[in-house]
Amino acid sequence: MNTAFILGFVILALGVLSVAFVRPKTYVARLINLEIPAWGLLLIMLAYDEALALMTFVAVTAISTFVIVRLMEWRDASC
Amino acid sequence: MIFELQVVFGLIALAGALSAALLKDPYAKLIALGILVSGALPFIVDRGYLDVAIVASLIAPISTIFVLMAVRRAET
Repeated sequence: MNTAFILGFVILALGVLSVAFVRPKTYVARLINLEIPAWGLLLIMLAYDEALALMTFVAVTAISTFVIVRLMEWRDASC
Repeated sequence: MIFELQVVFGLIALAGALSAALLKDPYAKLIALGILVSGALPFIVDRGYLDVAIVASLIAPISTIFVLMAVRRAET
């Protein structure tokens, strides 16, 4: 149990709660809040020694953010 | 890592996460997300994963730019 593990759990729980109960109920705010638990999960995965999994997770999170932004523009419902 | 440095970087990451969760302005949320990233990156460097640190610190601003595009479109 090192510091990054506990900190990752705290940030993950905080981020999940902030995505579930987002205060300005907009897609953009929810998408920005969705990046908080991703960093918490990254800190949890750091406690296990898998460098390739960490790199893949970071890359896939960025790609999914890009896809969701394009989807929001395509739906024209980004408000 | 030194224990005091762990506490300081952990507090920076927690402050970024809390302010990104609680603030209402999307631009302020993005700035707070940058603070969260800057608090989480020293833990990656501490474990010795410099390649992961390079990838994360290159990709995090790029995804911020993508979200900034959506924020600008939502504001107008």
